[in-house]
Amino acid sequence: MSGESSSCPHIQAELSENFGEAIYPRFKQVVTWNVHRSAAVRAPKRRRISPPRCGVCDLALSRPFACLHCDAAFCWEHGHAITHSKQTNHTFCVDAKSGRLYCSQCDDFIYDPTLDELYTRTVVSAEEKETRFQESKNLREPFKPWSPTDKDTSALENANLPPCQSRRGLVNLGQTCFLNVVLQCLVHNPLLRNYFLGDKHNWRNCKLDTCTCCEMDKLFTEVYSDDPAPYGPTSFLHTLWKVASSELSGYAQQDAHEFFIATLNQIHSTCRGSTNVSCNCVIHSTFAGQLQSDVKCERCGNTTSTIDPTLDISLELKGNLPENTLAACLRRYTQPERLGPKEYSCSKCAKGSPEASKRLSIRKLPPVLSIQFKRFEQRTNDKSRKIDTPVRFPSSINMAPYTTLVMKEMEKENASGPGAGVPFSYLGPEALYEYDLFAVINHEGQMDNGHYINYARFQDEWYRFDDDKVTHTSLSAVLASNAYMCFYVKRHLDYKPYQTPTYVLMREKEEQKERERELKEREREAKGGGSMASPRIVGGGGSENKDMEIEDEIWATV
Amino acid sequence: MAPDTQALYAQIRHRLIETGEWDQIRGVLVTRLNESGWLDELKNRGKERGRDMDPTTFQAIYDELRPSASSSMSPAVKKEINAVIKQHLDRHLL
Repeated sequence: MSGESSSCPHIQAELSENFGEAIYPRFKQVVTWNVHRSAAVRAPKRRRISPPRCGVCDLALSRPFACLHCDAAFCWEHGHAITHSKQTNHTFCVDAKSGRLYCSQCDDFIYDPTLDELYTRTVVSAEEKETRFQESKNLREPFKPWSPTDKDTSALENANLPPCQSRRGLVNLGQTCFLNVVLQCLVHNPLLRNYFLGDKHNWRNCKLDTCTCCEMDKLFTEVYSDDPAPYGPTSFLHTLWKVASSELSGYAQQDAHEFFIATLNQIHSTCRGSTNVSCNCVIHSTFAGQLQSDVKCERCGNTTSTIDPTLDISLELKGNLPENTLAACLRRYTQPERLGPKEYSCSKCAKGSPEASKRLSIRKLPPVLSIQFKRFEQRTNDKSRKIDTPVRFPSSINMAPYTTLVMKEMEKENASGPGAGVPFSYLGPEALYEYDLFAVINHEGQMDNGHYINYARFQDEWYRFDDDKVTHTSLSAVLASNAYMCFYVKRHLDYKPYQTPTYVLMREKEEQKERERELKEREREAKGGGSMASPRIVGGGGSENKDMEIEDEIWATV
Repeated sequence: MAPDTQALYAQIRHRLIETGEWDQIRGVLVTRLNESGWLDELKNRGKERGRDMDPTTFQAIYDELRPSASSSMSPAVKKEINAVIKQHLDRHLL
């Protein structure tokens, strides 16, 4: 956003002349074209799109570099985009795919924050028009960037902007590294961060006695303050003990994953407006996905499906994986599994227990995908064993091949052979299935004698957190580590269709009732009634406070 | 490339891009390169190299990384992509 500077003086000059009118339309046209073209070739009823040709060598362009000053496009690999700029003095061209600008005067790709933002908005706006919701057939809710009101602007002008980059260590309060790593992963979660820094659950206003949601608010306040010294989450721990005495077995175990799930449930239960079914609280809005389990009778083909909500995905490491990668784990997780003879009986088949297979798939992807590798194996007769096999995981992953919809499409294709398992023609822009890694939890050492550390990303830089010690690190160090849990965030968020909030509807109803009441009053007075009671003070303070309370309530569930 | 081969290449290239098959083949390539760790390795090297380089330019980083990027691609991936390309070509050149 504002405050960032352009890396190129030439684009700055260009944009300041008639507010960029010369190049914005062409820029948007090229970017939009790319979105629609990508969607067209990937649609189930594939459409042929005639590709543009290079203005110099006439080859069909798979990745056009479009001149921003004329209608031509060029290939990059033979240097023809640069040839064009030299021949014509057209300074800028854009890579249709990434929206990156090349400046022939700088002789380099450049960065400009205005164009960067324009690119994202143009892509999102074009993608929104591409896919409709499956059942309602409505278009996606269009994203509208926030624009400050006058009140906001004046508030911002006088505001002090503290540096808040969240690179604050957490003091180990006695075997609490399992707690620290989970807290760091929650603190670096962009959706949780936005919620708590957006003051959606302010601990000062909360009426609950023991509130984990308040503890999160306090934690965010501390970590995002400008105090760099390590912070001891004593208040969080204290609340945890209070809760643990009643239900938190995760605490006793000191296992980071158990603690993670238990904490999510705790935050959910202390969020105002949370419900037991289809909850909208920040936790469920962030982490909740849906798993579908399809059980198919091999004899008659009858399939029964069950849908279960889930906050994370736990992947087995036992047995032999063809490769030690996250993708291999996910493939195994979603592959059909034979059910034993006694495990299933078909309601449609004549009799007996025929062979059946069960298959898991992800029906609904959450905005934040939490993955656990089951490294702690419980054994019946012996002590538990830790599986230390390193698993390779990527910084970006496309989850389409593991979703219910796409898997159904893939059943029509070959399951093996060259190119197998990579879906192509599926619904929606790819960005909705793409996730970027932002945090990793590692466990070092033995099962009962180990230590947790975590990695987390702030914007583009990675940091290593070892309780109070925070150090800058690199992507390769993170990916080389032996992950226990990985956290991914969806690249583009999708929004629910707009519904007028309940509190607005209620307020309108209230106002309507007031008008009707006043009308009746005036009618009665006009008919000449005797002494009427002095005009009631209606509306005003009373219902306004109620509105604020209800509004408050709703905000807490957003 | 001999002029005849060049003309044929241009024609096939046009057809594959038009039908979206080019994107499809590329999709398989990217998925395999990502899963093998090649993509992240390159991303990391580019980033760390860019951090040290002064001045940092795309062309300089590209020229430096390209040779090893080419050679570090796993032979299994190369073989698979060649097979995928062949499958598509067989359909068009029948």
